[in-house]
Amino acid sequence: MFGNYFRKMKGTTKSPPRVKWSEICWSWLGGFVGISVVAYLNQSVLEATGQMLFIASFGASAVLLFGAVKSPLAQPPNLLGGHLLCAVIGVSAYKLLPTHPWLAAALAVATSIAAMHATKTLHPPAGATALIAVMGGEKIHQLGYLFAVMPVGVGAAVLLAVALLFNNIPRNRRYPEFWI
Amino acid sequence: MSKNTDENQTPFGGMDLTDQDVQEAMKAIPGYLDITPGDFKELYRHAYRHALERLSRSLTARDIMTRDVICVRRETPLHEVAGIMGSRGISGVPVVDSDRTVVGVISEMDFLTRMGARGRKNFLSVVADCLKTRGVDFLAMPDQRAEDVMSSPAITVTEHVSYMEIARLFIDKAINRAPVVDQEGHLMGIVSRADILEATQRTICKIPSQ
Repeated sequence: MFGNYFRKMKGTTKSPPRVKWSEICWSWLGGFVGISVVAYLNQSVLEATGQMLFIASFGASAVLLFGAVKSPLAQPPNLLGGHLLCAVIGVSAYKLLPTHPWLAAALAVATSIAAMHATKTLHPPAGATALIAVMGGEKIHQLGYLFAVMPVGVGAAVLLAVALLFNNIPRNRRYPEFWI
Repeated sequence: MSKNTDENQTPFGGMDLTDQDVQEAMKAIPGYLDITPGDFKELYRHAYRHALERLSRSLTARDIMTRDVICVRRETPLHEVAGIMGSRGISGVPVVDSDRTVVGVISEMDFLTRMGARGRKNFLSVVADCLKTRGVDFLAMPDQRAEDVMSSPAITVTEHVSYMEIARLFIDKAINRAPVVDQEGHLMGIVSRADILEATQRTICKIPSQ
């Protein structure tokens, strides 16, 4: 009975092949441009106003957008829908259970996964967005549901714009695969 | 009619993809593919099976049947039936009523049975019998009519039955042709083994090579 259970842990297939060096270079450049645009806007334009545009989960989004361009997880509805949905879920979880952060965190991430699946917007970095809404500190908590608009909504939109402009430059790349 | 397919049977035989094939294919496509070779193989199997089923459903009795069927009436004398089959070079004919309702089928096999073929019912076993007994029992046959020797009831199909199901029917019932009939049993056409072969060819040619 347990034989099959442990046999499953051996895996069944091999890892996909490594991409070409040219692909690695384009991915590096894309990640650099994408993050630098958002980080620069955050630092130079918004810091003075006390606003913020930049959260850590965008680093993970950049991996998908520039490293796995064709992945369903990296497509526009997933990027925008995933982040927005999970931001709202994260803020709600904190508002619901402000005195039990561990439970709010678990609830936020679990509900995010389910909601993204249900809406066909699965985007793993958005799970981090939900977590940031719970554990991101006083500054984030004060934003309330505005967190979903800024930094999350606007930041994701800027990333999307960069991905659209950048990923269609290399001959062997195109973005997106689908809009809906 | 029952559709007799084995669910566990892989449709690939010796043509299944190997991990190596998939790895090479993934290398040929530029960019990172967010899928494991195992997942791809599973997807491919499902898609291939789906395509086969779709193609097999796409051709039905109506599409592959011969429309101007040579048929005989119940009361057609047997010597005329044999004459028609001989001159047209066909090995079986449907037998119909006055309103073209199919009531049976006469094939070479039915003649051979009447001519005393035992065991395997084919021409050479009749020849063997003739050589042994110096003759064959035709004596009772001249006065007989189509309805006396036909196989009845006829195994028929309607026009929307897929060619794969007809092929299955031919194998299961060990027959070589099936009249195609409308809802009331009137003769519309006939599907023979040759028609099935041609349908198979047409289906395979429709699968794009790229």
